Amino acid sequence: MKTYRSYCMVCAGTACVSNRSFHIKEALEREIEKQGLQDEIAVVTTGCNGFCAVGPLVVVHPEGIFYQQLREEDIPYVVEEHFLKGRPVKRLMYSPPGEQTPIPKMNDIGFFKQQRLIALRNRGLIDPERIDEYIARDGYFGLAKALKMKPREIIQEIKDSGLRGRGGAGFLTGLKWELTRKAKSNGGKFVLCNADEGDPGAFMDRSIVEADPHSVIEGLIIGAYAIGANQGYIYIRNEYPLALKRLIIALEQARNYGLLGKDILGSGFDFDIKIVRGAGAFVCGEETALMASVEGRLGEPRPRPPFPTEHGIWSKPTNNNNVETWANVPSIIRRGAQWYSQIGTETSKGTKVFSLVGKINNTGLVEVPMGITLREIIYDIGGGIPHEKAFKAVQTGGPSGGCIPAELLDLPVDYESLSEAGSMMGSGGMVVLDEDTCMVDIARYFLSFTQDESCGKCTPCREGTKMMLHLLKKITEGKGTEEDLETLEQLAHEVKETSLCGLGKTAPNPVLTTLRYFRDEYEAHIKEKRCPAHVCRQLNTYRIDPDACTACGLCRKECPEDAISGGKKQPHLIDQQKCVKCGICFDVCKFEAVCID
Amino acid sequence: MGKTSKTVQINMDNQRLEVHRGLTILQAAESNGIYIPTLCAHQDLSPFGGCRMCIVEVEGMRGFPTACTTPVEEGMVIRTKTSQVQAERKEILQLILSEHTSSCLVCDEKVECKEFMGTIRKAGVTTGCRYCPNDDQCELQDVVDYLELDEIGYPVYYRGLRVEKEDPFYDRDYNLCILCGRCIRVCQEVRAANTLAFKQRGRFTVIGPAFDRTHMEAGCEFCGACVSVCPTGALSEKARKWEGKPDREQITTCALCGVGCQMRLLIKGEKIIGSLPAQDPVVNSGQLCVKGRFCVTELVNHHRRLRKPQRHQNGTEVELSWNEAIEAAAAELSVCAPKQFGMLISPNCSNEDLYIAQKFARVAMGSPNIDSSTRTFYGHGFSAYLDLFRQSAPLADLEKSSDILCVGLDARFGRSVVGVALRKAMKRGARIVTINPRPHNLALMADIWLKPILGAEAGLLRSLVKMTERKNSTSRTRAKGQGRGLTQDLLTVAEMLKNAHSPAILVGSEFLQHDKSWQIFELVGRLAQNVGARILPLPAQNNLLGSILMGTYPEILPGGFSSADEKKARQFKKSWSVNLAQFSTGWNASALSTGPRLKVLYLIGENLPGFDQLADFTIYQNIYSPDSPTVDALVLPSAAFTEADGTFINGEGRIQRVRKAVNPPGDALPDWEILCRIARKMGKKGFDFSSAGQIHREISRSVMNLGRFHRPKRKPVPLTWQGRVNVSRPKPSGKVKDGKQIPFLLHASSAEHVYRGFLLTAFVEGARQIFPQDMVDINPKDAQKKGISQGDAVVVSCERFQETWTANIVDEQPPRTLHVTLHQSASLGANPHRVKVKKKDV
Repeated sequence: MKTYRSYCMVCAGTACVSNRSFHIKEALEREIEKQGLQDEIAVVTTGCNGFCAVGPLVVVHPEGIFYQQLREEDIPYVVEEHFLKGRPVKRLMYSPPGEQTPIPKMNDIGFFKQQRLIALRNRGLIDPERIDEYIARDGYFGLAKALKMKPREIIQEIKDSGLRGRGGAGFLTGLKWELTRKAKSNGGKFVLCNADEGDPGAFMDRSIVEADPHSVIEGLIIGAYAIGANQGYIYIRNEYPLALKRLIIALEQARNYGLLGKDILGSGFDFDIKIVRGAGAFVCGEETALMASVEGRLGEPRPRPPFPTEHGIWSKPTNNNNVETWANVPSIIRRGAQWYSQIGTETSKGTKVFSLVGKINNTGLVEVPMGITLREIIYDIGGGIPHEKAFKAVQTGGPSGGCIPAELLDLPVDYESLSEAGSMMGSGGMVVLDEDTCMVDIARYFLSFTQDESCGKCTPCREGTKMMLHLLKKITEGKGTEEDLETLEQLAHEVKETSLCGLGKTAPNPVLTTLRYFRDEYEAHIKEKRCPAHVCRQLNTYRIDPDACTACGLCRKECPEDAISGGKKQPHLIDQQKCVKCGICFDVCKFEAVCID
Repeated sequence: MGKTSKTVQINMDNQRLEVHRGLTILQAAESNGIYIPTLCAHQDLSPFGGCRMCIVEVEGMRGFPTACTTPVEEGMVIRTKTSQVQAERKEILQLILSEHTSSCLVCDEKVECKEFMGTIRKAGVTTGCRYCPNDDQCELQDVVDYLELDEIGYPVYYRGLRVEKEDPFYDRDYNLCILCGRCIRVCQEVRAANTLAFKQRGRFTVIGPAFDRTHMEAGCEFCGACVSVCPTGALSEKARKWEGKPDREQITTCALCGVGCQMRLLIKGEKIIGSLPAQDPVVNSGQLCVKGRFCVTELVNHHRRLRKPQRHQNGTEVELSWNEAIEAAAAELSVCAPKQFGMLISPNCSNEDLYIAQKFARVAMGSPNIDSSTRTFYGHGFSAYLDLFRQSAPLADLEKSSDILCVGLDARFGRSVVGVALRKAMKRGARIVTINPRPHNLALMADIWLKPILGAEAGLLRSLVKMTERKNSTSRTRAKGQGRGLTQDLLTVAEMLKNAHSPAILVGSEFLQHDKSWQIFELVGRLAQNVGARILPLPAQNNLLGSILMGTYPEILPGGFSSADEKKARQFKKSWSVNLAQFSTGWNASALSTGPRLKVLYLIGENLPGFDQLADFTIYQNIYSPDSPTVDALVLPSAAFTEADGTFINGEGRIQRVRKAVNPPGDALPDWEILCRIARKMGKKGFDFSSAGQIHREISRSVMNLGRFHRPKRKPVPLTWQGRVNVSRPKPSGKVKDGKQIPFLLHASSAEHVYRGFLLTAFVEGARQIFPQDMVDINPKDAQKKGISQGDAVVVSCERFQETWTANIVDEQPPRTLHVTLHQSASLGANPHRVKVKKKDV
């Protein structure tokens, strides 16, 4: 392999790609060639670095200089200054919010400093479309080691590591493998990778597959060998075109290297992987529905028992884990259970990848050791709340999870603590909410998602989520009664207790946790007909502050009901009789003259 | 593996129970008389776990497991009726009802309404709302009553879905649907038809064929299994919609084809309001086809049913009493010479009717002239077709067959019960090959479709016979007159059949009217011998075999003996005191219009076009009035198969009971009774029967053992009769010499949806939609050339006939050929016909 003086690692995760990172890459290559540096500087596209908020990113190695928010126009300057003259460009480096001094090196940035990478250990360091780069970073060494071990020993190693399913429920991975291994089958077993990530605001699995597809494939091969499966499936949603493309390339390369197919690495073990593309149904993340979908049937869950470990795809024992779980496996085998189990807490070992979104400065993907507090994630890594607003709550676990309020900021992040708080680990979505968020509206938002995504098979989920949404809408529109609140709470418990699958069983969680921590907001909506966060527009009263109004007339022009009167140089006035509370005046006013009482 | 006992001990509602391992909690509860409400569970279907009504508490299990999906385990402690469970159920039920019209369920007037509904006063009295045809039979009502739900705490939505009425036989109002999925599961699991599926999802979920096709387009067989399992009124039978709940049921045998399915007739008062499949493991395993499921009710209740004897004379109709009618018949018959008498009897009649009919002809009239329209239906292939039964096997053998060859079988509407068995065989891994020149419902599912070139069907079978002969190596045999691809397929099939460990051959109706039908059936017989296959001929008429074994043909005596058999003739002479030896006239049904004119023609369940022109006097005995006014005839009303006792022999040779479910309409009587009365009036002996059972006993005593009449064992009788029907084989229809190209080759088939000489389409509304009427199939290219589009009236003509039919453009119809299904194709003459086609001038 040829070595270069410097490597330009262009982030090509979906977020940076949508910020034109491929154009940046072309511009870089063009400019480098123009300066005659093509033999000295290499341009590499990598998977997602995680710091999506400031994309597109380029990291220059070996120094580790971190360039952010690049535009194509910046490139000639960067190439000339940095690569020709040796002067890194300060203006394009990252400065924490509110600070002036840029931080030149990636590893000095708060966002990266506190992370601990296992599943994402190759992110930003390798080209995910080249297997050699993965192998150069010790890739497939875990597999080579595993193939020399007995399946029983591998399972013991995974059990000892304490790895738990990263898909949400946190079932012990080693135990699941053991169950599948022990299950009787009259015609093969399967391993399955659930890459049907569907939570709004979650993109952990996508990023892992985009940044390091071979880690998932290696995990699957090790798992298949341990379990005794000869066929694997990766169920990935078709809405992830980049991940899908890289997965297809990776599988092809692995096959060409003899890492998939017959007699893998001369061990006599045969195994191959098929990709099954999902059509984006949230319920297909539920494993029984997913398996039905793999078989080509309607993606609907079925009751358990029998469990998939005995009765999975085509009624054969099937071991299903999600992307992140599989991606952890190679490192555990390579470095040992002992090493892995040192990370994390007593019951939750290792690291967890979270996607940090919502009202937070450093939107992006982070991998942190279990047991870290929410405060560390949100303030130290996430850089706090923008515009110095107050933190209100964090929603974890997606639509199945719940909202954790500010008073629990020091809660350690592990499976048990989150469950106790009424939420769940889930697959790792973290939506940060600030003081401008209405919790009733948040519950309504998640309910509208789950009721849209309910498959319709069981009554409580199909009808219950619809009815809960109906009640929540009523409350946000100011038509709710105290009786409605009672019904809502009762219904939420009912749906949780009697639904068929995980989707329905967890769908009421956003309602239940907001009711638990923010009941006062519900009551304000019902009793006082007031939305404390001013989000529920039907409860707002819009008024124009005559001192701030410049009589620009924009609100008058935009008002759909002609409820605003006022002439030139005259402060405007809203006719409350005519106002339908659409809030357009509030949105359009440039002088913050429209206020909400 | 350690020994595990077959039962487990559980504790349910504080009762210690010992139940079979592997049962679900629900099954364990039901078998011990503990009621758990359910809506989506059904005994014949896989557990679904959707409605969540059957939730229970199980110690040590999280939440509320559903009884229908959770298997019992040793030591399980189950509580089915705790207050929390009941409260949760009530909530769930309210959620279900929040999308279901519920006025019949939680109305304040519910109790009063039920009481006063029977009133006949017209004004000022609650007569009950009628939103749903399933009132009183609705499973939701039962659950609402059980849980004592009297109000719904949620707003009730009406989904506002369009009521689907365009398909035949049943309407669908999915506003009443609770999405229990039973219809889908029965369609997929039990019928293996896969017509229905969930469409959309979540709150938009609806049920129907994929891609919004109609049921007709989606290949629905209209078996009605979905209607039977629907717990609500969402699916309702058009003909039975507002009939309500039946008072009683009667199990009987369907008369509409030779499969002989066991069915449950639903009876209300003196009316049959529906027919459902009986749980019969022997023949139809709880399945029926569209004819049995939906056609019987309309067929037997039709307003054209004859109620009183009538005398038709020169356009006038006079109602008679039975005494007058019997006297008139006896008077005409007494003066009729044996040779001038002729009788035709439908094979849809029971063995007892058939036996009495032939006895009437042979003993009372002293005439050998008894025959059946089956002779013209089967044409010159009749004898060869009947020979197939000698190698026949019971239908249940399909369960074990490894390779199944279907010869001219279409199992979509008629014989769909066999189609289900075929699909189940396929699921099990059996290979299916179908031989059919035309599109049919097995085409999609079969492993190989051997599609012969029109006119070369016999050639194809001959190739197959040669290829399967032991001494022949298949690779050297070439199929003559077939395409190359077909030859390869033929070799594959031959190889497959030769190596099959239990092959079976099913024979459908496609080739019954074929111009080389006799060759085709002979070849099928030889093929079966070559590969050691059993044959399952599936005759169109129930009791075709009865008509053979009861001897209603001039050549065949009861017991299936040849009328030329002198020894047997002597025996019958002894028991009936009639000398049968003299009976060797050449008369038969095909000679009706050409032979010497008869004095009296006696038709039983037969309906020939222009029958009153065939003899001086006609006795027309049937369940419907004749199609056209008759010149001079005595019209006698008889009982349908639902109104008389008797036995049928199905295509397997199984003797099955036909049971009287209701009284015949008006004065109508069973056929045997009318015949016996006339014979007695004529002073003949040997007709003193007062029940079908007595006739049955006489048959068993003097002809052949038919087994018990009451509670018969339904074992197949050996099909080894000796008599053979004489059929004239057509001369090879040499080539046209004048060198002119013959424009089109027309093949006409006879309709099979016939009961007692009448097309079902005349009496059953839905049948008109599924059985094409006078539709002539034409290739699209030919149609284009002739300027014909779908549905156009076309004139098909040759020297002998000119007919106007409706064009039906079928891609698979071979070029320059036409196909039509007629009531009686024999009326056109023997197939194929060389015809001209043109669009009808408007």
